[in-house]
Amino acid sequence: MNRRKSLQLLAAAGLMGPAAVLRAATDASVATVDDLPLISGPLTLYLGRGEGGLYEDILDAIRKRNPGLDLKVRRGPSSALANTIVAESGAGVSRADVFWAIDSGSIGRVVGDAKVRQLPSAIRNLLKTDFRFDAWAPISGRIRTVPFNTERLTREAVPKSIMALPERDLEVGWAPAYGAFQSFVTAMRLLNGEEATKAWLRAMRPKARSYAGEFGVVMAVSRGEIDLGLANHYYTLRLKKGRPAAPLDLAFTRNDAGCLLNTSGAVLLSDRPQAGLFVQHLLTREVQSYLSREAFEIPLVAGIQSPVGLPAISDIHPPAVDLEKLANLRPTLDLLRETGVL
Amino acid sequence: MLSIHQLQIRYGETLAVQNFNLQVDTGEVMALVGPTGCGKSSVLRSVAGLCKPDAGQIVIEGLCTSGRQFIPPEKRRTGLVFQDFALFPHLNVEQNIGFRVKAPDAVETWISALGLELHRQAMPETLSGGQKQRVALARSLAHRPKLLLLDEPLSNLDAALKMELREQIRDAVKQAGVTAVWVTHDQEEAMTVGDRIAVMREGHLEQTDTPERCYEAPASRFVAGFFGEGRFIAAQPKGDLASTVLGECRVIHNRAAGQKMDAGESFDILLRPHDVDMISEDPGNATIISHRFEGETRRYGLRLDGGERIDARLNHEQRFKTGARIRARIAARHPLVAFPLRLRS
Amino acid sequence: MSIAINQSRLRLYLPALPIVALAFLPVVVLVVLASGEPLSFGARNWRIFGNTVALTALTVGGAVLIGVPLAFATTCLRFRGAGVALAALAAPLAVPSYIGAFAYFAATGRGGELESILGFAPPEVRGLFGTAWVMTLYTFPFVLLSVRASLRRLDAGLVEAARTMGLSPLGAFLHVILPRIRGGLAAGALLVALYTLSDFATPAILGLDTFTRAIYVEYNAFGLSQAAWFSLQLLGLVAVILFFESRVRTARERPGRTLRWTPSLAFASGLWSAVGLIWLSAVGLPLALFLLWLRREGVSGFDLATLRHSVVPAALAAVFAVLCALPLARAASAGRIGRWMLRLTSFGFGIPGIVMGTVLVYVGLRLPFIYQTTAMLVVGYVLRFLPLATGSLREGLDRIEDNMTHAARSLGASPGEAFRRVSLPLIFPAALSGAALVFLEAMRELPLTLLLRPTGSETLTTRLWQVYEAGYFGEAALPGLLLILASSLAMLLFLRSERLLGLVAESEA
Repeated sequence: MNRRKSLQLLAAAGLMGPAAVLRAATDASVATVDDLPLISGPLTLYLGRGEGGLYEDILDAIRKRNPGLDLKVRRGPSSALANTIVAESGAGVSRADVFWAIDSGSIGRVVGDAKVRQLPSAIRNLLKTDFRFDAWAPISGRIRTVPFNTERLTREAVPKSIMALPERDLEVGWAPAYGAFQSFVTAMRLLNGEEATKAWLRAMRPKARSYAGEFGVVMAVSRGEIDLGLANHYYTLRLKKGRPAAPLDLAFTRNDAGCLLNTSGAVLLSDRPQAGLFVQHLLTREVQSYLSREAFEIPLVAGIQSPVGLPAISDIHPPAVDLEKLANLRPTLDLLRETGVL
Repeated sequence: MLSIHQLQIRYGETLAVQNFNLQVDTGEVMALVGPTGCGKSSVLRSVAGLCKPDAGQIVIEGLCTSGRQFIPPEKRRTGLVFQDFALFPHLNVEQNIGFRVKAPDAVETWISALGLELHRQAMPETLSGGQKQRVALARSLAHRPKLLLLDEPLSNLDAALKMELREQIRDAVKQAGVTAVWVTHDQEEAMTVGDRIAVMREGHLEQTDTPERCYEAPASRFVAGFFGEGRFIAAQPKGDLASTVLGECRVIHNRAAGQKMDAGESFDILLRPHDVDMISEDPGNATIISHRFEGETRRYGLRLDGGERIDARLNHEQRFKTGARIRARIAARHPLVAFPLRLRS
Repeated sequence: MSIAINQSRLRLYLPALPIVALAFLPVVVLVVLASGEPLSFGARNWRIFGNTVALTALTVGGAVLIGVPLAFATTCLRFRGAGVALAALAAPLAVPSYIGAFAYFAATGRGGELESILGFAPPEVRGLFGTAWVMTLYTFPFVLLSVRASLRRLDAGLVEAARTMGLSPLGAFLHVILPRIRGGLAAGALLVALYTLSDFATPAILGLDTFTRAIYVEYNAFGLSQAAWFSLQLLGLVAVILFFESRVRTARERPGRTLRWTPSLAFASGLWSAVGLIWLSAVGLPLALFLLWLRREGVSGFDLATLRHSVVPAALAAVFAVLCALPLARAASAGRIGRWMLRLTSFGFGIPGIVMGTVLVYVGLRLPFIYQTTAMLVVGYVLRFLPLATGSLREGLDRIEDNMTHAARSLGASPGEAFRRVSLPLIFPAALSGAALVFLEAMRELPLTLLLRPTGSETLTTRLWQVYEAGYFGEAALPGLLLILASSLAMLLFLRSERLLGLVAESEA
């Protein structure tokens, strides 16, 4: 099975096209798109890398619903865009109205170091209570997982603690340049301390193969190129949806950085009403259930079903980490470089 | 028509042209001749306005210009014909000739006068050298210049073409009735095309005269050598005549400034090869040391018994052997030119 | 001397001055930026430096190893289809190296496209050697073409004379041929080095930490000081190359009778296989891959706006580059100072796109009105590709002898009219080809575009980069093929104007 074919299957099984995004409303308790006024006027969105076109479908659907909206999108790695926003803000330049990032670390960096607008309570209250913040809106949740090859490994052979991973004689895949991985290392720093993290990275480096992104990691696991990988949960679920027979399954560590619950999120960077409205669109039942159904992301507004194939969050035991603290990326990058991982 | 007063042109430290005075009459073709690097092109370019003189005045039909009162080239109405033709490569023959011509007649006139009818639409790169130069000339003439300047117009053409084109250009210039200054380094060209010749050397004028006078009565040894071969032999005055080892002859004293001779003093006379005749005679007064067959003529190199060397050009029927003893004598009926002894120029 | 027409020399220099100042701006900004933070030269820095130098050395070595024998073969051997072979060998120039890198990235290794075709996985092309291999494939034509040019100038008579004086064929090669082609070889090799040093996407895609990649990483983290510090180091390496390049003298002899041998049939077929293999590796593979993807994927994922976003800034850059090049080229033909001015601006071509981009982002943040606008992108393109336009224009200006403008003026045309009616029409074709070169180069420029493009305008190149980062390769098909098309046109122009060698010859003037 080659890389390309698996993508095709994914596409065939998963993608329903932009029109479907805003149509599949089922639960009446959450705001639906129809409750929202139309967005109009120009809006600049800094988008931390859309996931395989799924975010693009959401944008297309929003564009289609709001013909008066002139949406300009700047795409890039979340961390790079966060740094851009901070630098722009420092120079007194304001270009973006909304920043939608795939990891809360980048959000935290922007919230901490750039001029951001407070989130109106109307938006805040759309979210589950655990996910209400002053300056940003979590959009969807993702959890760190250990995808493993079921032909090469049994679930029992996967360590329950991420810190125990270096001790096992396993071939591991990771994507050190990827923001979600960097947030994972940041979480490890916060939970286990600088030294332990450094030792962990040093010990892992000789066993680990680097990939450009985490989808690549998961594909490599499914091909049996490596025993297991470190990746966000949804890559595995998406691949499994396209190829249910793929020798691939998800394992979770317990209560450590290895099962960190992170979120994507949005920050308002201008006072334009269309910015808030845009974020409200992302928290409608339609978008949230699309994210859950097609992107396998964890919905963060009440009343939307969790993605199929993912255990209930309560069974996973993610560590307690202040998401905004994940923003302190610089020491993480230094650590990754010092240990030669990046 | 054109008068140049005390022109001076400087290139950095070196004086390219100095004390240069020249008058050109209306309708006259003045050949400006001299060896390469003598400054003749600088004179031409300053007349055209492409080069600013450091001192002196140039008056073109009442239009007075100098270094201070500089008139740009386009205001002077001087046509310039370049040795590299300088045709505009993006325009065809007709468009080149008619570059800024208002009256189409003028273009037509010169196209037919110079035999370019078949090449009207041709682009310059497709033309031969001779054709290019005819186009360049037609272009200049069609713009009705008050003064036509030709800068070595034939130097980029091969020998056979030169002769033919020389005539053609001169005829065209005469037909146009335009005053012209024709710069060349070729003395033969100068003699055939110029009504008068101005001979330049190292930045100054040596002589301005008709071709005949330049040949027969050169104002300096340089001019003498420039136009044709010639040797100098010593002579003493003897009444109205001059006496030499080759016999007596009539002389004219050249009148160039600073070359006055005191009566009774010895001088040199210019002896051109055809001024000399010889007969076989032993002991005679000379030995034949070289011989060159030239077709109609033969040219002999002689060493006089006094050690001087002269040349003689004879009819091809007169054969002498190298090494033969002969008696040489002056055969010329016309007076020979006398030069003072020491002031060798 | 005071020649009236040339007295305006100063007037010719003056308009060129601001352009020179602008072209030199990046270096000034880098120094300012780098001085913002105490600079260190740690282990990581050494690794990056080592990688960069090693990659450059390996690529130059590889290009010489492939380029020189093939230059001999295509110049001195008489075999069937020699012209086709030469075209096939020059063709890699028409493929941007990052397209090649992208193709190798997607095709090799386990799970690559080739595995599904061949049934087994060819070794993956990554890291130092993988990058060097890909860079070699796309740069060896520089060596091939410049050595060929030297060989063609070499008169067979020289070799024959040497042989009659008792030199063996090897001796003749060492003592007669080698000294004559040394200049061409050096010129080609230095061009390869320059190209390798400034390439961003190839090492980035194949996972090798070179200066360009490190600068991008630092830029993304907005560690501008560190990025500037790396940029200065990279510029140092570039300056070394440019210095050597300025000392290269290519012999300018009249072409004589070229050396020619007829090889045996076996040798000729061996040669053909080598040529075929190289073409397949460099051109065949990416072309096949993109066509395969195109067939699978169709063109549905392609947004026409992408093409527009590529074309419009590139076209603007082409126009402005020529407008800026005009005073420069005029200054350069006026005298020595002008030639120095030209030299200074041609440094821009040596400044890697990623460095230029970083600098202009910094400048842009201080000039918000231009930040993230098309204007900024165009400025970047112009600064980077100005030398291509000046080079073309200088060739055009060389065609106009002084006498042509003099002739026009003696016919009564004012200086303005002479320029309009004589100089301008004569420069026009050169300006057009200069503009086309800038246009096509700007179209295929990646890092500068990545950093400077206005929000919302994805270009062919940034789209390709996005597709690489997202791993969704199929959508690369159309952008990739369009970029190969644009590059092919650029190469045709490049070869036609012999700019390839002109670039080298120019620094010699």
